[in-house]
Amino acid sequence: MKIIKDAMAGTLESSDVLVKVSPSDGPLEVVVKSEVERQFGEQIRRVVADTLARLTINEGVVIVEDKGALDCTIRARLQAAVLRGGAVEGLDWSILQ
Amino acid sequence: MCAELIFYSVVPSEEPGERAEIETFLLRNGLSYDEGIEIFVVGREGRKLVACGGLEQNIVKCVATDPLYRGEHLSLTIVDKVIHLAYERGHSHLFLYTRPNNIAFFAGCGFYPIVEVPGLVTLLENSPIGIRRYCDGLSKSRQPGARIGAAVLNANPFTRGHRYLIEKAAESCDWLHVFVVAEDASLFPYCDRFQLMKSGIEGIARVTLHPGSQYMISRATFSCYFFKEKNVAGDCFTAVDLLVFRQWIAPALGITHRFVGTEPFCRTTGKYNEDMKYWLQADLSAAKPVTVVEIPRIESHDRAISASEVRRLLGTNDFDRIAELVPQTTYDLLSSKYRMKAVGSHTSATA
Repeated sequence: MKIIKDAMAGTLESSDVLVKVSPSDGPLEVVVKSEVERQFGEQIRRVVADTLARLTINEGVVIVEDKGALDCTIRARLQAAVLRGGAVEGLDWSILQ
Repeated sequence: MCAELIFYSVVPSEEPGERAEIETFLLRNGLSYDEGIEIFVVGREGRKLVACGGLEQNIVKCVATDPLYRGEHLSLTIVDKVIHLAYERGHSHLFLYTRPNNIAFFAGCGFYPIVEVPGLVTLLENSPIGIRRYCDGLSKSRQPGARIGAAVLNANPFTRGHRYLIEKAAESCDWLHVFVVAEDASLFPYCDRFQLMKSGIEGIARVTLHPGSQYMISRATFSCYFFKEKNVAGDCFTAVDLLVFRQWIAPALGITHRFVGTEPFCRTTGKYNEDMKYWLQADLSAAKPVTVVEIPRIESHDRAISASEVRRLLGTNDFDRIAELVPQTTYDLLSSKYRMKAVGSHTSATA
């Protein structure tokens, strides 16, 4: 899947996460900023990388502003942002599980 | 908190009552009302206004929270609502000015500093990598040489004066990078200005023409430039724009010199040129100084050639005089596309 326009999902509220995606020509660039970086930074990055891989996102810019969201929230927000900003045809919903 | 918090948007030009209340609220919080704001988000607890934040296109302005409610996530919530409103309105790349002591709070809202005018104000954007990525892109156009020049032109429209400036600058450099102001707030739209510049500088060696960006002479970095014809320039704030150039753009391209034409007519541009000598050259930044070179304008019939003169002549449809001031390519476009507009300059001609 390819990101074709700027899009956003989530909020800056506590326990949520704000995800912003935008198109770019270069390779995928992911930036994760988290209030719980020290405890969970690595885990959050794993969830983000895994979710993007399942969505087959290989290019674009993804910015994740985490406010201590649970993994399932991070997944959901990422999926929503990518689906809003992506060129989606015949989505295979099973990849979102 | 006793009552529930509600948030909603307010268009100040349509709701004078709300507007007056916001104005009072801002004053109480040490901020003055900004006339450029198109829409606000306000937060109320019951009837009481407790937070607000405004948008002028992609610039977040006048964010304030009642002191009694600070530290309760209300500030974060109001910024979050403003960001969402901006996206809904088609603006995803946002900018914000604040005092340097608020940087930590806005970092929590996803805004990151670009430059700081020490002790005064910081320009932030809603991306941790925005300007860095832009400069990475620019640096692909780096050229070898000890003397690398740059010029940023609005070219509204491109005149023989612009051609002369670029020729002179290119002659004295190993390479010249020219930028066209991208903001669409001038009489001639960006695509026309860029095209005329492109054809206008043909044949000049060692020049790269770059599209403009949000990071130079834009609403975000230098908003009052676009109101100069309304004559409200006053003490224009030029430091942010010039520091972005010195600390980010110049290093990305290895720029050592910046060229400008002398400015005999426009006060805002004149002040910008004067301020440039200070903010680009003075010993005030870790970034290397950039030498400012002013090139005297060429004249036609004892008057300096300027784009504002061309616009004035367009208003009176004086195409004979315009022909003396602009190259053929500009003349052709003005003649074909803007002649009709000029005839009905104050009506909404659709030609």
